[in-house]
Amino acid sequence: MMEMLLEPFSYVYMQKAIAVCGLVGGVSAFLSAYLVLKGWSLMGDALSHSIVPGVAIAYMLGFPYAAGAFFAGVLAALSMAMVKKASGLREDTVIGLVFTTFFAVGLLLVSINPTAVNIQAIILGNILAISDSDIFQVALISGISLFVLLLKWKDLAAVFFDENHARSVGLKVDFLKILFFTLLSATTVAALQTVGACLVIAMVVTPGASAYLLTDRFGRMIVIAVVLGSVTSALGAYLSFFVNASTGGLIVTMQTLIFLGVFLFAPKHGVLRARWRRRAA
Amino acid sequence: MSSHQPVVVLENVGVTYPNGHVALEGVSVSLAPGKIYGLVGVNGAGKSTLFKSIMGFVKPTSGQVLIEGKGVWEALRSNLVSYVPQTEDVDWNFPVLVEDVVMMGRYGHMGFLRRPKAADKAAAAEALARVGMEKYSKRQIGELSGGQKKRVFVARALAQGGEIILLDEPFTGVDIKTEESLITLFRALVAEGRLILVSTHDLGSVPYFCDEVVLINRTLLACGPVETTFTQENLIRAFGGMLRHHRMAGDDLHDDTDARRLTVLSDDERPLVLYGEAGGEKIVTGAKDGKP
Ligand SMILES: Nc1ncnc2c1ncn2[C@@H]1O[C@H](COP(=O)(O)OP(=O)(O)OP(=O)(O)O)[C@@H](O)[C@H]1O
Ligand SMILES: [Mg+2]
Repeated sequence: MMEMLLEPFSYVYMQKAIAVCGLVGGVSAFLSAYLVLKGWSLMGDALSHSIVPGVAIAYMLGFPYAAGAFFAGVLAALSMAMVKKASGLREDTVIGLVFTTFFAVGLLLVSINPTAVNIQAIILGNILAISDSDIFQVALISGISLFVLLLKWKDLAAVFFDENHARSVGLKVDFLKILFFTLLSATTVAALQTVGACLVIAMVVTPGASAYLLTDRFGRMIVIAVVLGSVTSALGAYLSFFVNASTGGLIVTMQTLIFLGVFLFAPKHGVLRARWRRRAA
Repeated sequence: MSSHQPVVVLENVGVTYPNGHVALEGVSVSLAPGKIYGLVGVNGAGKSTLFKSIMGFVKPTSGQVLIEGKGVWEALRSNLVSYVPQTEDVDWNFPVLVEDVVMMGRYGHMGFLRRPKAADKAAAAEALARVGMEKYSKRQIGELSGGQKKRVFVARALAQGGEIILLDEPFTGVDIKTEESLITLFRALVAEGRLILVSTHDLGSVPYFCDEVVLINRTLLACGPVETTFTQENLIRAFGGMLRHHRMAGDDLHDDTDARRLTVLSDDERPLVLYGEAGGEKIVTGAKDGKP
């Protein structure tokens, strides 16, 4: 029995997959704490579609796909921030507007210059099949993002809570916002290669949502989100060795189950506890 | 610090909003340290706009603002200015406790990682105590009443410890007891050589705690010491028909020939009371006995 449970660890590719999934899951969850608070939950979805033109152009010009994806992602995120600021439209509208534009341009480019096979591979991502150099790249991107977030999480929180006040205590608000979107784009690209597009969105929302219901302090919210994100992601990679199911599917299913549990039973913000407290009062 | 050179200088400041509305025009004032300035004007006079242009949140379309001779951004970088806006535009569901919000006021004093040192913790705790909110330090920020929220944001500005403190209607929605303790606190702060600019609708309290008044209505109407500038004539210029105005003179008050009359001016809160012969009326500060 024990032997069977440890079996995945005897394969180098499984060890790498588990470690990288955990790392990517953790960083995505870190970012999810911010996105959930700002009502930017659809940003992950938007970014993972917005990278298509970048990949298509990278293919045409013979650059690495990840670079193209990253630049398209950053560009999309910054366009969203700029359109939001200039127009005063609501976040959801702006995100929808920008990402459909990027996606449409991407589709157009792909239809003119058919490269669909590669884009499929990137969008559907599969950690168990990913090459060593890609694994290294994903690990590097996530590692750097995590490091920067650990250094600057308080400044980012101050900017997200009260931008004007952050300015008045001398924080470089615009720089911090660009930094955040850059990290988000980089992480989205990394996550895409491990779990695929549809699931990236869940990874940058669900852990943050669960954590939000569990605490009133932002620092703890981040810790909880990161623990949930990395444990479920590593576990998902591990389990996919036994059940012949998609890694991403497993990860997100677990994250959703945790969210449901928290939603019902969380000590302060859970639905059942609140009802029970009100009845007791 | 004891120099009385003006530290906030507005030179011919004009603000036109993108919709074409001219909110301020040709405003030139100089504010010196060690004083409380009361900023008075009707709704829409441009008080908040004036604060925002000092903070650089709206860019003056003409003229300039200098803070200790520097541009606004530089002044903010060196943590010179604390500001409490009229309405806080924050997400009340954000998972921060009252003490975390006040601690954010200290960020400018902290290092790269924003790790609070003992001095930061002490300053934050003291600021909370000064607004009487220490009991609420572990509450989530949204779980407070309107007045309590306001007090927390005043505490955040106090914790920041800027030389220049801008308060946009800090007393609105705050009970009298808190208002009075804030006023005592403001007097103590200016005694240390700080500069406070505070807008208020509470005309009666202006002579009670301000040294100078700045009256505006789109442009600067008058600016100077309370005794000489905060007059009925100037107030009527600033408020026009918006002022509640009660005058009791001669017969209403006495049976003798005493020509003194009583004038009560109020916007909405504590009234301003003037008493004396026409033209020679004095401000009555009531039971409070002048400035504490
Ligand atoms: N963002 C904006 N866009 C366009 N016009 C604005 C904007 N903000 C304020 N105004 C207009 O500018 C004028 C000055 O507004 P401001 O908020 O400075 O007034 P105020 O003196 O602070 O009033 P109150 O006593 O109500 O706080 C008002 O006529 C207002 O309608
Ligand atoms: Mg105002």
